[in-house]
Amino acid sequence: MSDRRTEPATAARLRGLVKRFPGFQLGPLDLSLEPGTVLALVGPNGAGKTTTLNCMAGLVVPEEGGTEVYGAPVHPARTKYRRDVGYVGEESGFFQRWTAGRNLDFLARLLPGWSHERARRLIERFALPLDKPVSKLSRGNRTKLALVAALAYGPRLLLLDEPTAGLDPVVRAEVLDVLWEVTEDGEHAVLYSTHVLSDINRLADELAFLRDGLIVLRTGCDELSERWRRVSFRLQDDAVELSDVVEHRRVRAEHQVITRNAEATLQQLSELGAEAIEVSRMSVDEIAVQILKEGHHVARTES
Amino acid sequence: MWRVLKAELMYFWPWMLGGLGIAAFVVVLLSVLVRFLEEGEGPPSFVIAMFPIIAGMVVSFIAQGVRAEERRARLLLAGPFTPRQLAGVTVLLPACFAVLGIVAVAPMIALATLITGKFEASALPIVAGFAGQFWAYAQLGPLAQESSAAHRQQRSTTAIAGWAVFAGAILVLAVSGFFMQSVSGYLGIATAIVAAMGVAAVLYQRRTDFTR
Repeated sequence: MSDRRTEPATAARLRGLVKRFPGFQLGPLDLSLEPGTVLALVGPNGAGKTTTLNCMAGLVVPEEGGTEVYGAPVHPARTKYRRDVGYVGEESGFFQRWTAGRNLDFLARLLPGWSHERARRLIERFALPLDKPVSKLSRGNRTKLALVAALAYGPRLLLLDEPTAGLDPVVRAEVLDVLWEVTEDGEHAVLYSTHVLSDINRLADELAFLRDGLIVLRTGCDELSERWRRVSFRLQDDAVELSDVVEHRRVRAEHQVITRNAEATLQQLSELGAEAIEVSRMSVDEIAVQILKEGHHVARTES
Repeated sequence: MWRVLKAELMYFWPWMLGGLGIAAFVVVLLSVLVRFLEEGEGPPSFVIAMFPIIAGMVVSFIAQGVRAEERRARLLLAGPFTPRQLAGVTVLLPACFAVLGIVAVAPMIALATLITGKFEASALPIVAGFAGQFWAYAQLGPLAQESSAAHRQQRSTTAIAGWAVFAGAILVLAVSGFFMQSVSGYLGIATAIVAAMGVAAVLYQRRTDFTR
């Protein structure tokens, strides 16, 4: 354990990572993740989220640049970093015809640092049926099994690829509860990709928006929710132009805008003589949707 | 590597047992039928030997397909294994099933001999030739898979080299068929097996994507 304490403080670092596919290039990506941070990787389909996570897990070798996990270079041929990485993806490679229990037994013998106690607690918590073949498990139970396998050996970096996709609300809440508890100690770093933007509110400290293979914006959730507001007001002027506004709806004299700089917008409205001004907060997932909808423009201005 | 190989063998053991069971059923049926129809004759020993040998080859193909479908590399690369070790498992697994099929030839021939009362010792060199040929075909599976993977991963030169070895091995096996009972024939088969295993292992280690 002592050698672990002397290792670099950064949980994961991507340096100029580039991976090319026909018609698509991921990167160059530069990203660092500190312990205790939960970073949500948000982006449309095909933005490169899964490839980024696969490169960080050492399952895909990038053409340029690389990744480090707690200072150890990530590459399939190296094994030092693996103890620190727990990966949950859509496909986890389990022996489908073996039961969940037999798969976990196999992994327990394989993975150094495996804690039977930790695994038992998670199994009980998730009420995971150990006697069913993996191929017969529901999607939710397969995700739970993957989480048990990924958490039982105590990795300090969790890479989660759409962990709650396709899960019913109850299972999703269970999975999020466990992830939240894991990250609560402030020692684990989590990078997860998601389409379910409502998960962001529960888990993420920071967001990284990935579009066309590039990180177009990385920002803190608090920072976003401090500045973004939905503002409604009454103003007779039809040609009103407001800066920092990303969406503007109007029905006669009634206006509703979404602004990424509430202070500046309110100042403008007061100068224009707007009446009945009402300001409401936006949730982080609503803001994320706006950023994804507006794409590069909003992201660039935001950054 | 041996732990993983053992686990994979245990995982696919029901398929192997099933394959050998079907082979035994066919051998018994064939022996009984031929004995009654031909009045005291039995099927040739090399025909009897073919069934367990083919069973081994088929199971090795099934294992290869199932491992790819279940994306086993993802699971194993979470553990302390290098691509070199996983390459070893990839090429040794078909070899294990092929050898198990070959080993099962002895009890199958014994079974047929019990039913028909006839044993052809002279057929053994032909059986050895067939066994080698089918083992080689089983080893060509991983080679084809890794050549395709190289092509998918935009490693054209590697893919071409892999397919060239694949074609060369097929050619060697075809020519060896004409010299089935000679040392040169056996050497040709052995060369094809070793080349297929070696090149498939090298291609596996050079993968840039272990997600499939």
